Amino acid sequence: MNQSRMKKISMSFGILGVVAVLILHYMVFFWVPTESSMGIVQRIFYIHVPSWWVAFISFGIVALCSGVYLWLGDDRLDAAAVTAAEGGMIFTTIGLLTGPLWGKIAWGAWWTWEPRLTLALLLWFIYLGYFLVRRSALNPEKGKRLAAVVGIIGVLDIPLIHVSVSWLRSLHPEAVVLNPDGPTLDGSMLATLLVGLLAYSLIFVCLFTVRYATELIDRGTQIQDV
Amino acid sequence: MKYLSVVWTVARKDLLVEIRTLERLVAMSAFSVLIGVLFHFAIDTSLIRAQTIAPSLIWMASIFAGMLGLGRIYIIEDENRALSGLLQSPISLDALYFGKVLSNFIILLSIVVLILFVFAVFFNLSFPGNLLGWTSLSAVVFLGVLSFVSIMTLLSAVAVNNTMGESIIPVLVFPLLVPTVIHTVTATNRIFANRPFVEIEGNLRILAAIVLIFLVAGASLFRFVIEE
Amino acid sequence: MIPRLQAVDVSRTFVRTRAVDGISFDLNSGELLSIFGPNGAGKTTLLKILAGVIRADEGQVSIDQKAVEASDRLWRSQIGIVTHQTMLYDQLSARENLLFYAKLFDLEDPEDRIRESMRTLDVLEMADRLVGSLSRGFQQRLALARALLHDPKVLLLDEPYAGLDLYASRLLRDRISSLKDGNRTIVLVTHSFEQGLELADRIAIQARGRFVFTALNESFHLTEFEQLYCDTLQECGV
Repeated sequence: MNQSRMKKISMSFGILGVVAVLILHYMVFFWVPTESSMGIVQRIFYIHVPSWWVAFISFGIVALCSGVYLWLGDDRLDAAAVTAAEGGMIFTTIGLLTGPLWGKIAWGAWWTWEPRLTLALLLWFIYLGYFLVRRSALNPEKGKRLAAVVGIIGVLDIPLIHVSVSWLRSLHPEAVVLNPDGPTLDGSMLATLLVGLLAYSLIFVCLFTVRYATELIDRGTQIQDV
Repeated sequence: MKYLSVVWTVARKDLLVEIRTLERLVAMSAFSVLIGVLFHFAIDTSLIRAQTIAPSLIWMASIFAGMLGLGRIYIIEDENRALSGLLQSPISLDALYFGKVLSNFIILLSIVVLILFVFAVFFNLSFPGNLLGWTSLSAVVFLGVLSFVSIMTLLSAVAVNNTMGESIIPVLVFPLLVPTVIHTVTATNRIFANRPFVEIEGNLRILAAIVLIFLVAGASLFRFVIEE
Repeated sequence: MIPRLQAVDVSRTFVRTRAVDGISFDLNSGELLSIFGPNGAGKTTLLKILAGVIRADEGQVSIDQKAVEASDRLWRSQIGIVTHQTMLYDQLSARENLLFYAKLFDLEDPEDRIRESMRTLDVLEMADRLVGSLSRGFQQRLALARALLHDPKVLLLDEPYAGLDLYASRLLRDRISSLKDGNRTIVLVTHSFEQGLELADRIAIQARGRFVFTALNESFHLTEFEQLYCDTLQECGV
């Protein structure tokens, strides 16, 4: 796979992604009906949930590439892992910024210790640890291995965090006005959500391919070797 | 068994070094008492009964003491490049990991026991009245400390040859400790409230699972953090 | 004759620098190779690869023609290494340190071997003193005792004379010389031309990760070798 082909792929995904985001915004603002109990602000849901999706899937990619990197030692896998981590961190940040906006309306508080939000916060810090470990290691090769270890331990811990926090919540059910998992979705709402997932995934793939290519160039690897 | 003998040899050496210097034990012990003092003044006892939150404070104090004492374990090991000496020997690296987990576990367990008694005195706690209560408490303490130590033994190796030194360790370790904290604190609360064992059993099971996952992951990944 | 220690095209990269770049050599049993070179030439990295402390990216190291796999830890019991850091614990006594290493190497009769090793290196009187309280000279001899405890076939010495006064250097030199007569294979990295030439059967100059000069040691004179060293490095642009 050479440079121009990579460029074409990332451009295609980018264009499709931007188109999908435009469609998504149209659907969010003009098409999908307003949810009856929460009103207009509920529409954040269609931005917020897809960004979380991408954040978690990115971390899965980080962990997978890290594991195989440690096993095979191929530097391209490390490049893929750090690229996925960058994208993942961006989308986790979006999720953490939009989450409280949603929470203020749904629960009347900027922050609640709701499992997904808590997990997103901890995930953000696991990503942070991943980057800090890479950057602060005196030996860069060691830094890559340490980051890979952080990625793997992180992915093992995520289900534990989710199970534990959910269990703790179940002990203290809060008086919620609304279903914390979001409104029961009717057809058009589900469609909008799916478009959101698709749009963000396309954007992520575009960002990933561009960033991966530049990462490889930085490392002096030939694109042909991708 | 030779493997266990290596594990014990490594642990014994660490404990011997610690007993000779007492640096970590003294610092962690002093810290344990002083943090109890600070907690006392940080709680408005006219609003909150300290006994209600004492189990939480006990575990938070244990984690902070652990961070203090276990953050430097490889920096100490690396003086005189003794770590290279270990890498040059024929022992398997997971045996080295388990040896270090064992010595750190013994050290931190001693401190947590101290914390339990100091906080019991400071906050007027009443310990469980029966054998089952004591057994449950021991099990929670054992699993909680082991969970923490297994992850610290893996990740504090990051602090060696690192521009941030030990300050990076809390960033890495705290997110991973959330499940442990949730279950140890809940179980300890229930034990002090003399709740029936069936309510504590679930916590113990999850803690055991956490310990198992961390130990296996730690032993498998250790060589990547320790080799140069 | 089967070479005792063999390296074929050994390489190791750190970031983008080839710290060790395609080094090959053969050493027979009982021979001593002295490696000279400027700082940053990769000499310590080479020794660490031979000792199994770090892994080579490419190439092969063999002992008695058996290739050593990085993941197989047992072959390390055939190698002993001394660097200018002692690899000993200051808070333990000399005896306790050696006992620790004896157990790691799973040695039989550890007490006897420790006593013998310390007697050979003339550190027995210091057996129960804490290592941190010993002079540098004693510490280095103790480090050599540690390296010899498991009777390795191959001994790697990385600037063992660093920081030693003349008397201690002479003592160490005598010990190393006596080891040479025992069929042990030795690789010595040193900045001291005098020490390095005196005992060497083969010599090499390492610069920028490569062996830029290798030869059998046919009684090089000190000044002659110094000139050769400078000329060689100049040609390499170091």
